[in-house]
Amino acid sequence: MWLDISLIVIILSGIVLLGSSRIGTIIQLFAFQSLVLSSIPLQVDRAGLNWHVLTIAFGTLIVKVFVMPNFLFWAIRHVRLRREAPTILGYGKTMLLGGILVGMAFYISSKLTLPDRYFSRLFIPAAFSIFAIGLLLLVSRVKAITQVIGYLVMENGIFLFSMLLLDKTPFLIEMGILLDIFVAVLVMSIVINNITEDYEDTNTLNLTTLRD
Amino acid sequence: MLPIFSHILFVLALSPLLLGVIGKTKAFFAGRWGPPLLQPWYDIAKLFRKGVVYSTTTSWVFKLTPVVVMATALASCIFVPWGSIAPPVYFWGDALLFIYLYGLMRFFLIIGALDTGSSFEGMGASREAAFSCLSEIVLFMDFILLVMVSKSLVLCNMLNTGFFSSWLSMGPVLVLVAVSFFLVMLVENSRIPIDDPNTHLELTMIHEVMVLDHSGYDLGLILWGSYIKLFVLGSVLVSLFVPAHLSPLTGVTFFLCGMGVLGITIGVVESVMARLRLNRVPHLLIGAFVLATLGFIVILLKGA
Amino acid sequence: MLLFLILLPFSGGLLAFVLPKNSLRKILLIGVASIHLAAVLGLWSGGMPDNGSGPVFLGLDVLGKLILTVISILFAAVSVYLWGYLKNERACNRIFTGCLLLLLSSMTLVSVSAHMGLLWVALEATTLMSAPLISFERSPQNTEAAWKYVLICSVGIALALLGTIMLAISSGNFKTVFLNDLLNHASVLTPSWLKLSVIFLLVGYGTKMGLAPMHTWKPDAYAQSPAPIGGLLSGALTACPILAILRVVQICNRADLSSFIEPILMVMGVLSLGVAAVFILRQKDFSRMLAYSSVENMGIIALGLGLGQAAYWPSMFHLINNALTKGFMFMLAGNLYQHYRSRDMGQIQGVYAQNALMGVLLVLGFMSLTAIPPSGTFFSEIMILSAAVQSKHYLIAAMFIVFLSVIFIGMAKGALQMFHHGPASKQESSPMVHPVSSMAPILVLGAIILALGLHVPVFLENVLRSTQTSLGGR
Repeated sequence: MWLDISLIVIILSGIVLLGSSRIGTIIQLFAFQSLVLSSIPLQVDRAGLNWHVLTIAFGTLIVKVFVMPNFLFWAIRHVRLRREAPTILGYGKTMLLGGILVGMAFYISSKLTLPDRYFSRLFIPAAFSIFAIGLLLLVSRVKAITQVIGYLVMENGIFLFSMLLLDKTPFLIEMGILLDIFVAVLVMSIVINNITEDYEDTNTLNLTTLRD
Repeated sequence: MLPIFSHILFVLALSPLLLGVIGKTKAFFAGRWGPPLLQPWYDIAKLFRKGVVYSTTTSWVFKLTPVVVMATALASCIFVPWGSIAPPVYFWGDALLFIYLYGLMRFFLIIGALDTGSSFEGMGASREAAFSCLSEIVLFMDFILLVMVSKSLVLCNMLNTGFFSSWLSMGPVLVLVAVSFFLVMLVENSRIPIDDPNTHLELTMIHEVMVLDHSGYDLGLILWGSYIKLFVLGSVLVSLFVPAHLSPLTGVTFFLCGMGVLGITIGVVESVMARLRLNRVPHLLIGAFVLATLGFIVILLKGA
Repeated sequence: MLLFLILLPFSGGLLAFVLPKNSLRKILLIGVASIHLAAVLGLWSGGMPDNGSGPVFLGLDVLGKLILTVISILFAAVSVYLWGYLKNERACNRIFTGCLLLLLSSMTLVSVSAHMGLLWVALEATTLMSAPLISFERSPQNTEAAWKYVLICSVGIALALLGTIMLAISSGNFKTVFLNDLLNHASVLTPSWLKLSVIFLLVGYGTKMGLAPMHTWKPDAYAQSPAPIGGLLSGALTACPILAILRVVQICNRADLSSFIEPILMVMGVLSLGVAAVFILRQKDFSRMLAYSSVENMGIIALGLGLGQAAYWPSMFHLINNALTKGFMFMLAGNLYQHYRSRDMGQIQGVYAQNALMGVLLVLGFMSLTAIPPSGTFFSEIMILSAAVQSKHYLIAAMFIVFLSVIFIGMAKGALQMFHHGPASKQESSPMVHPVSSMAPILVLGAIILALGLHVPVFLENVLRSTQTSLGGR
């Protein structure tokens, strides 16, 4: 029951993300989503609490809830205009589209059979939904910082997916993935920082000098 | 007859108190002492001591509106359980009547506003009509979900029966229903972030502008009716969280505590959020609709 | 030994961050690159590598070894070239050299990893380590290119991670992505999950490879990075996702899903060829033209892999030739840019009149790019074409020929102009001279390209044939 509710809260925060326009709110919503997400390893753990699961949960908690949002806030510290620029699609349609994507995620997952037992029937749909919501956020927004959040939300979906393999994934690989994402956000923050210095805004519609 | 009267008296007495709780919470966040808890009561009492003024352009529709508002509000409350006290009236399909009573109330508010012939009130009426189009869909969606969970079309069964066990299996759905219903409740009652009940700023007003020409006890009836509407819709939400099969006393206590928490929650939301721009309100409702639809999908998946 | 190959550039990279002087870092770069090259070449003397059968993280099969060798040769050439190139750059090269060595480390890790998750980690690391190289000359254009590169590649690679996880789910109770386990138990993989995973893996790694329509970062990234880095990115770095795709092909062949993956690869390949043809035709910028040529060659390789086993070893041969040619051309372009101070092909004129050797090399590179015989690419492209005809994909074969002709015309227009047209007034331009370090790697690569075009040594042919067996062909 708590697992189901956590999953729904994660999807819910994704949909709210699709409808928010303040960059500060968006980053905080991402942190909130990751907070709920970091509790998932503890909830699906079957072997009793061990250092493997605890490290993953705490690693996610520290990196995604505390470190990454701070990096992103650092990257936009000089930006005065902390609102998402108007998008082509508009928030209402984006949210509706998000709802449709979530529906499709549920439909697709109902067609897939898992080879063995899993924790909750909501698990795979939720992972797909978050992934799709992240992708939608990424393509529908124009501010660089929101696109990074979209990428990270996608990554959260993948994290949820990887929980299905919690007991079999080598610890080394999991830490490698976490480290990679951490460095990715670091690099992206630095690039965003450079963008804001060059263009005084993080609007990617400004990035049009290179074209054919 | 007696249960019906006691039910109505209960809601008449307690509904202004919910507004008082909200006001106290907001005052706390603003760092003030704020008006007394019974201030809404004093307001109503003051309005009922005053006479009414009618514009010469208005007709009987305008005079009928306050009465209809009060009547529909009171009629709707008799279908809602208070904790473990069952509602005095219930029958198969009363949930639909419940929704349409509010439709009737809204209809009369709108034509009452149009009856004044003022373009200002007409603007408010058009906004109310536009937003209620969206909020009613969400309300229906939420009720459909509850019907699917409880397999009943009787409001008190939808809200109360065996819900403690429902939470175990249907927890995710109920979370979604609760969140989207909360949003709808804010829209229906014109609270922040949709509409600010405290201002009379013409640019963003919805509900307040429609009742601008009412005065005296007419205004008192409308205000009281809207208090009751908030209280009744809130009690629907709170009933989702009240466990079934409690003794009457604990049930009612649980319920009243729940209403208190709801009032504080609304107060907190109103304190920390700014009013949305008018063109963003539909986004909120679309979000609520998406959540309700998601709940629908989850139910289908769970095969309830 | 494998661990040494990874840790050597890794520790070199860390060392580069603490060394105090630019010149020391350049010596470090060349030293590490040459030791790495020597060690990699030494691997070949040990006979055919043993795949092992158990779950191991690091393992070197013939595919990985081939790609590792290509990477190492190209890296060594670029590091020598950078000796002279960095002299003209005033900026501090601490981050540049450090990231370059870490990039070599992660590319090595890609080619020796025998675990799909580790492969993913290493590939994402290559993206992150190469991003600072692109934005080396801090200008708004560089920032833009770096942003597109990091974001598009990271998102693509995220798709591949999802695919990797699905691959693990498809393996049922094993829940493993150790390559050996997957290959040994390929027949018990769940088909529905495997298909889903293959789609995600192809799209994800295809993005990193630069297959159309996920190629949009490529011209920007290659044109904005320093010219030799463009060569390293388009020659060595693209070989890494190709290796990942080879692994997918390997698994699909073992799992009897080759009929599922082949059409996808063919469509992606032909689409890339078409996109490259359209954009090359009206390209003014030399680097961007080379970038689209890279899209084209990635398309050819994908198409070759999609045509089934007959085209496997031509594709691998094409990969080698393409990598060497791209490194060659970008370094050549670097020399030209330093002389003409422009990347516009309208500005770079009369190369032959200025410097006969550069002119000849330009024509050699152009021949190899457009597959004029005698070049290795001609050989591999004709083999892929014949494989298409033999497997009765006539439409694909026709489109292949048409697109290649269009690309030939587009490139010929630019390259011959650069070669032939004289500068308006000769006395204005200073003589074109380049330091030895900027010419030697070009000459060495040119010699290898020419040699491979004239004659494929028996040794290499055996290796290429064994890659075919390893990929699952017979």
